[in-house]
Amino acid sequence: MRSFSLIDFVSLFAALRWTIALVVLALAFGAPLALGLALGRISRFAGLRWAMAACIQVIQSVPLLGLLFFFYFGMPVFLGIQVPALVAVTVAYTLYTAAFLGEIWRGGLEAVKQAQWEAGACLGLSAWQQFRHIIAPQALRLSLPPTVGFLVQLIKGTSLASILGFVELARAGQVVSAATFQPLLTYALVAAIYFALCLPLTLWSRSLEARLDGSR
Amino acid sequence: MALVEIRDVHKTFGKVEVLKGVSLDVEEGEIVTIIGRSGSGKSTLLRCINALESVDSGDIRVEGQKVHAGMPDLKKFRQRVGIVFQAFNLFPHLKVERNITLAPLLTGRIDKAKARALAEDVLTRVGLADKIDAWPEQLSGGQQQRVAIARCLAMSPHLMLFDEVTSALDPELVGEVLKVMEAMAKQGMTMILVTHEMGFARNVANRIVFMHQGRVWEQGPPAKLFANPETPELASFIASAK
Repeated sequence: MRSFSLIDFVSLFAALRWTIALVVLALAFGAPLALGLALGRISRFAGLRWAMAACIQVIQSVPLLGLLFFFYFGMPVFLGIQVPALVAVTVAYTLYTAAFLGEIWRGGLEAVKQAQWEAGACLGLSAWQQFRHIIAPQALRLSLPPTVGFLVQLIKGTSLASILGFVELARAGQVVSAATFQPLLTYALVAAIYFALCLPLTLWSRSLEARLDGSR
Repeated sequence: MALVEIRDVHKTFGKVEVLKGVSLDVEEGEIVTIIGRSGSGKSTLLRCINALESVDSGDIRVEGQKVHAGMPDLKKFRQRVGIVFQAFNLFPHLKVERNITLAPLLTGRIDKAKARALAEDVLTRVGLADKIDAWPEQLSGGQQQRVAIARCLAMSPHLMLFDEVTSALDPELVGEVLKVMEAMAKQGMTMILVTHEMGFARNVANRIVFMHQGRVWEQGPPAKLFANPETPELASFIASAK
């Protein structure tokens, strides 16, 4: 046993890079996929709507832990495909992000009145122009609070990657706590770091919301 | 050739046949007002003229071009045929100027340098030049509707459709919108209006079309139609609208 020292403090912050890396990877791949799912869910083609809804339903119904287990431990067993841990977590977090963000964004898109599409169409705009200039900006404002709410969930959800050996913030906390026998101090620090990561996001979302809502 | 030619148009929603063989011609420069009870098919007919609804059978031609939702030049067509809705449908996230200039810019009708001048011009025509930098929700209902008309005018349409544009307005705001429409009529704009404003129909329209049960029941000049309705249905409608 040793006392809590600067090196422990540093190792917690060093582990933060994995937390952030996992969030960035999840968003980089998950957000475009989410947009695709959201657009599919509001498509005029019933088959596409159902397919997207089914994908979302399946992914949302499986715990994140289950997704991580499946892509790392399950794929070699069921499909004979062994992927590196980083690939497995990236795929799992990407799907998780896509399913939840996709539904959030679909809700935002559908909350914009159908008449807004119609008004754009009546002015001779293409479907893409209607989406890009009329629907998406309004949907973005509506979707912002739940999107940031999900982002905060995602940040905390990265702690599950520790089961595949990633020493991210929560796992680093475990290691430091085991080495120093100071769980209260260690986990209080871990919690403070998570808080420091999430608070600016919430504040940023509030200011962005106010800025996008220029009409009020 | 009439600007708008409608021949034996049928339209069904589910099991309800809303239009049961409507035929109507509108000449260039003419102001035609469609009146009738709720559910008589007035608004549906208007939406069919702009291809917002497709007809089940029959034929609609505007400037000789057959109109339907899958027409190859639908976007170009809609730039020539403006429609103003009961609920204004302004874009709430854009200021008045951008509401007006968005479509002309995106469709390449004007370049950025001329956008503000265009907005000023059409807003002057509806008497709202001072509201160019306002947000839609800072405007009254009547002002919003006038901006919606200005937004259409910015596309220099050949034909304007008005779908009960004063129905959602407080009574004291109806007049300002009707005044703008009257001015447009005087400038020779071809207009088809669905309205419950009998006074406006009587004073401004060249022709009144009374629709009943999905058909053109009776039509003619306002003075004749209001004074001597030929059918009991129109007589009772006029009596109830008074």
